[in-house]
Amino acid sequence: MSGERDDTNIEARDQRLAARSREVLAESLTRLDGRTLSRLNQARHAALAKRREPRLLASWRAFAPAGALAAALVVGTVLFAARTDMQTPSVLPLAVNGELELLVDNEVLELAEAGDELEFYEWAALEAAGDGAVLGT
Amino acid sequence: MTAFATLAPVYSTPIVGRSRSANLSTADTNMRALEAFLASVERKAFRIAQLGLRNEADALDAVQDAMLKLVQSYATRPADEWRPLFYRILTNGVRDMQRRRTVRGRVLAWLPRNSAADDDGEIDPVELAESPNPQPPHQLEIDEAMGVLEQAIAALPLRQQQAFLLRNFEALDVAATAVAMGCSEGSVKTHYFRALQSLRAQLGDVW
Repeated sequence: MSGERDDTNIEARDQRLAARSREVLAESLTRLDGRTLSRLNQARHAALAKRREPRLLASWRAFAPAGALAAALVVGTVLFAARTDMQTPSVLPLAVNGELELLVDNEVLELAEAGDELEFYEWAALEAAGDGAVLGT
Repeated sequence: MTAFATLAPVYSTPIVGRSRSANLSTADTNMRALEAFLASVERKAFRIAQLGLRNEADALDAVQDAMLKLVQSYATRPADEWRPLFYRILTNGVRDMQRRRTVRGRVLAWLPRNSAADDDGEIDPVELAESPNPQPPHQLEIDEAMGVLEQAIAALPLRQQQAFLLRNFEALDVAATAVAMGCSEGSVKTHYFRALQSLRAQLGDVW
């Protein structure tokens, strides 16, 4: 009988203790200083800002396939152009032979562009042909 | 058939628009609920972390970490799961900080004391100055009780401390406390009972 009473006393004391400590802890919450409350507020906003970030990432991901396709096209074009450039030197010397020299020779181009001396070149050409004819004969 | 073909775009457009706006409003509601939840737990969480770590700056860091982790990993979970999950992250964070501190303490014990580092903890004369508004007796009583309670709680082993604060202060039920502490409900009951026994032994005469 006294054992039961002791248990009841202990239980009642535990309940009192729990209630009193809850009251004291709750009271301490109302007395947190402004700096702490401000830091908690900042922490909350920083965390929520992180929540918004994945949305931006998701919208970025929506454009990822299109971006990958565009990048692949660019790489393909560059590779194709590079391949064409590599083939050009092996073909040109055979095709144009010695005429390439004429095309890249700036001096010849300048002479051809000088229209006022065109008559002289025509005359020179005729002379050369005449000489050839003389020599041929 | 032609009629359906012509009608289809007319009806499909608003539905798409509506579902998109519905998604947006759901996300906004979720954000608001999350913000309200964090605002509702932040003070208690801070006090629980502070009682465990006995350091204000560390407690603030622990709460901030817990908030970030909850938002990043569990924001899409149902709102009623947030509280135990949040406290699970927090209690794990507090435990990790305590471990790090213990290791750091052991390492620093081997190093020579640095007088320059000691100067960092300068005493602020403003903090030491007496308040121009003396506290009323009730506040003094609460302060005194708080001091005694803090010492008694700090003397508890960490698991008993967590069980006591989560059950008694945060008012989580046994199941939620078990989730928060990452243990069985039976363990929660044992830790809580032992915490009460210890506190009764320490505070019984005072309270």
